Amino acid sequence: MLAGGWRGGGGAPRILIVDDDPNLLVLLADQLRNDGFEIQTARDGEEALRRLDGGWPDLLIVDMMMSRMDGLTLAREVKARADLPIIVLSAIDTADSKADLLEEVAEDYVTKPYHYPELRARIARVMRRLGDKVPRRELVLGPDLTLDLRRKAATVRGSPVQLTPTESRLLYALAANLNNTVSTETLLDRGWGDTDDADPSYVWVTMRRLRQKIEPDPDHPVHLVTVRGIGYRLVQQPA
Amino acid sequence: MNDAGRRPIDLPATTGSRPEPLRIGPSMSFRGRLTLALVMGSLLPLTVFGVVLLVTEVVRTGALDATLVQVVLFVLAAAIILAVSFAYVLTNNLTAPLKAVSKAVERASAGDLSVRVEVAGEDELARLVESHNRLAGALEQRNAELRRILLAIGETSPRDGLERLVAHATRSARVAFGMIDARIELGDPTLFPVEEDIPGEARPVRAVLALPDERVGVLLGHLPATRGWDAADQDLLELYASEVAVAIRNLELFDQVERQRQQLVELDQAKDEFLRGISHNLQTPLTSIRAYAEQMGSEQPDQRLAIIVEQTDRLYRIVRQLVATSRLESGTLRPAKEVLAIAPRVRRAWDALGAGGVSFELEDDAAGWLAIADPDQLDQVLWALLDNSVRYGGGSPIRARVAPRPDDEHLAITISDTGPGVRPEDRERIFQRYERGAAGASAEGTGLGLYVSRSLCQAMGGDLVLESPDAARGAAFTILLPAEPPATES
Repeated sequence: MLAGGWRGGGGAPRILIVDDDPNLLVLLADQLRNDGFEIQTARDGEEALRRLDGGWPDLLIVDMMMSRMDGLTLAREVKARADLPIIVLSAIDTADSKADLLEEVAEDYVTKPYHYPELRARIARVMRRLGDKVPRRELVLGPDLTLDLRRKAATVRGSPVQLTPTESRLLYALAANLNNTVSTETLLDRGWGDTDDADPSYVWVTMRRLRQKIEPDPDHPVHLVTVRGIGYRLVQQPA
Repeated sequence: MNDAGRRPIDLPATTGSRPEPLRIGPSMSFRGRLTLALVMGSLLPLTVFGVVLLVTEVVRTGALDATLVQVVLFVLAAAIILAVSFAYVLTNNLTAPLKAVSKAVERASAGDLSVRVEVAGEDELARLVESHNRLAGALEQRNAELRRILLAIGETSPRDGLERLVAHATRSARVAFGMIDARIELGDPTLFPVEEDIPGEARPVRAVLALPDERVGVLLGHLPATRGWDAADQDLLELYASEVAVAIRNLELFDQVERQRQQLVELDQAKDEFLRGISHNLQTPLTSIRAYAEQMGSEQPDQRLAIIVEQTDRLYRIVRQLVATSRLESGTLRPAKEVLAIAPRVRRAWDALGAGGVSFELEDDAAGWLAIADPDQLDQVLWALLDNSVRYGGGSPIRARVAPRPDDEHLAITISDTGPGVRPEDRERIFQRYERGAAGASAEGTGLGLYVSRSLCQAMGGDLVLESPDAARGAAFTILLPAEPPATES
């Protein structure tokens, strides 16, 4: 889609940080460089778009509340051009609605003041799924089930169903390997990569809950199929 | 009249054609009919008397002539038949108009004022009917006025504003009462002197806009000199004026409520703006302070840096409580439903508190159970409860126990201390906003911790309860959360 390849040509992963707080920008760039990332910074949305013209990073970290072009506008602008993963880094707000909107275009959300190890874990988790290719819009899995993973939503028998961030991350990993088995360990890593106490029962419970949400008959799943002892498989039913 | 005025639906409609007037028999005057009836009435005894005389005479003379007897009997029979039928017709002729009048009066009293009785001649009966018709007509007109007035009152809405209401009420009064001119003056009615009624000139009328406790103003107007105006008309005008007064009072009350509502909305917006500004302006520097302290600490471990990190976290949590309160009030707080293990989270929350001097024990009786909750919100609740028990537990050991409640698929997280506990009279109060229990206003903290915690737990489909005092010495709070029982691969 993009000339020059946006995965950094095999070098260090590149991250563009957009925040209007210069203190934070300097520090976060410093912290991430120490961890081997190649960092660019921008003070506002317009500067960010100019930097993007000069070459695409692998990941965008963006503050939601910025003076000149807010995070949502920037995120939409970016997503309209390419499927660049975005992590929102922002102070929590009294109005939740804006955060909801941003979650729609962002892969992850970290609140300020961030804990650096947590932020790094989130970055790693998003980076891991860079190779995953899922349909940009809708993934039709059968007559009764359509996934729209970018909106963290499913349509089950014509009715919209909202997915939690974790559920949509697991489905994202499964959808990227449609009709193939994904191991429980991979799913655990994708869903709970930033949690050190996670164990496979997290995956099992989440799958059980997911089936209740999206399977026509949760006791006899046809889309979310267990591969005993290995993991799970997302199955596309013929229309 | 008052009563009828308050029930406009009961008023008969005057639209459509007027029904046929009730007609009364042949055109003969009442006096004529009565005379005829009396003459006929006296004719019968006269005839009988004549016949009796004749028969007596015949018997006395002994000349019994068969032909004569036949003639006499025939005359007698003819006279009786004639008299009875005349009497019948005349009675009928006499009572029919009375019946018609009585029927019309009946219908009028039932509310149908449209019925008119028509009668020929100039006699007493005609005059009676005439006066009934006039009465019905006057009543009907009054009803029509009343209907117009009620419509006029009904049409005014408090949203229209005082000026429009007064203009509307003035116009309606003029039309409904047939005034030449009308005006409504607000304020003390005595400021507007009573006009003199000069015969032959337009007649002044007035009615005070009175409420039980206040005189709002006065309705003034002039009637054509020829227009009659009696006590009933004045009553009606005063009734109208009092309705206008009520409408004006309603409008004032409505304005007041509307102003107050507007003020509340503005205050609420100002509060939200303020909170948003505060939280943003605090979080931005906190982010830098924390990040630098953390970075320096990772390069060169130092207890002082760890304290900076802890304290920025504490400050941040207070900001979060304020933000959460605002969101709970506006209903925009929608917790995520993620799968998570509780015990490690309780442990991390305790570690983050940095309460080194207090002993802590964590007991996990819910192996394999996973709660369904929003991790960020749950962390806030855990931190607030642990912080509370450190602050109010008097340095006593703190114990946390995680246990399933399999009967309804909930997990219970109980955090207890053996300190002074919560006084019985404070048990409900501490869950209210800005309350701090026994410690009172002198204690540190926002007074939001338990309020926000309980609200968050409820928003996540659970609850936060204070255990009864005999369950444990000290204070024991239990968080209830929806949960999933231990799962196997399936």
